[in-house]
Amino acid sequence: MKCELCELIQDQRNVICAEQDVIAAVRETAVTPGQIIVFPRQHFTIFEIVPDPILQKCVFIANKIGMAVFDSLGAAGTNILIQNGIGAGQTAPHFALDIIPRRENDTLPLQWKPQQLMEEEMDTAFIELKEQIDKGFVTDTPKEIPAPKKEKIGVTEGKNNYLLKSLRRMP
Amino acid sequence: MPSLSPEQQALQEKIKNMSPEELREFQKQQCIFCQIITGKIPSKKIYDDANSLAILDINPAARGHILLLPKEHYGILPQMPDDLLGALFSTAKRLSQVVLKVLKVSGTTIFVANGLAAGQKAPHVMLHIIPRKEGDGLFALQPRLVDAGVLSQVTAAVGQKFNEVMGIKKEALNAGVKSSVGEPVKEKLISSSAGLVDTDAPLPAQESVEKNLTTPKKKRRQISRKKTSSTESAADEDADNGASSKRTTSSPTQEISLDDIAKLFK
Repeated sequence: MKCELCELIQDQRNVICAEQDVIAAVRETAVTPGQIIVFPRQHFTIFEIVPDPILQKCVFIANKIGMAVFDSLGAAGTNILIQNGIGAGQTAPHFALDIIPRRENDTLPLQWKPQQLMEEEMDTAFIELKEQIDKGFVTDTPKEIPAPKKEKIGVTEGKNNYLLKSLRRMP
Repeated sequence: MPSLSPEQQALQEKIKNMSPEELREFQKQQCIFCQIITGKIPSKKIYDDANSLAILDINPAARGHILLLPKEHYGILPQMPDDLLGALFSTAKRLSQVVLKVLKVSGTTIFVANGLAAGQKAPHVMLHIIPRKEGDGLFALQPRLVDAGVLSQVTAAVGQKFNEVMGIKKEALNAGVKSSVGEPVKEKLISSSAGLVDTDAPLPAQESVEKNLTTPKKKRRQISRKKTSSTESAADEDADNGASSKRTTSSPTQEISLDDIAKLFK
């Protein structure tokens, strides 16, 4: 099956940043002009199967682009959005973060009306989630096969070392 | 704008005159979510670790809507240290997986708002993890085609600023090394540049971009850009960039306004 994001990596259209494992590009179809997409080069279908080092690199790049958007487009705000899964309106089968520049009163449908839930509904949701989390986070191996082992280990070690180093430097 | 009472006006005046540190401290004291974190305000806590806390949103978009908060007070995402931010999203990933499994939904939306205009309700960074089902009517986004001219304008403007954001960081670190502040800074420089420029052979297409991010020539350019406000030299630099990088082919790289490009969008 063809993936529009994998194709975008080939085309290199409107690319803002092309790192070894992460790409950022301006969206050609967007909810507002200036919407930017950040995604791993490797084809991960959903959020849950993206390895932490690659996810954190995506988030790092997305955050810096967010800063750049404030200054260069004069945005009054930004949203970072992950549409994860068909139910969330994910269109390409490739995990991505979106940076959406916002203007005052731009009326984008990124708001929601609070649901009037019964206290019982809240309680059961709370119990169900808490029970699973207390058991430990879900550790089932995802169905999709993640990164080739070699690359994954290399990135993990590098990132971990860096994180450890910066942690030790903290006062 | 609704008219303000004298007390509110006085407060606004006071806030205006605060230093960034005072402002942060003031916000922290006022922050409802900081009080939730310390337990002064009760909440439904579903996850708690050294750096973050996850609670159920009392105004949920859907049943099981989770708020993930850093324990330290940060107003917006760009204020957070990179490692904390990364860890926060890793936690969100695990929470999202729990939501998918336990609530039997067909997706999750991870949502962050930076600024009032983006729908930020409280001055404390939070990640919304919203359980989603097809046809739930949430986030009814309607993407449309963006004008090609706007695309290249945005690419150039954001790309240039992005390189500055990344470059300034490196300059600061370089300065630290030059004045030999100490080992840790040097170490940081090495590890942070290792994070950006991979030692493995990069793909040809990304070489020019990485060159832009990392060559000493680029750094010098950015320094000189800071020193001079002359538009002439800025234009020279832009021409230079255009020659060396595929991304900045469109000439005007000064700031552009969202309002202007939004008009073209219709």
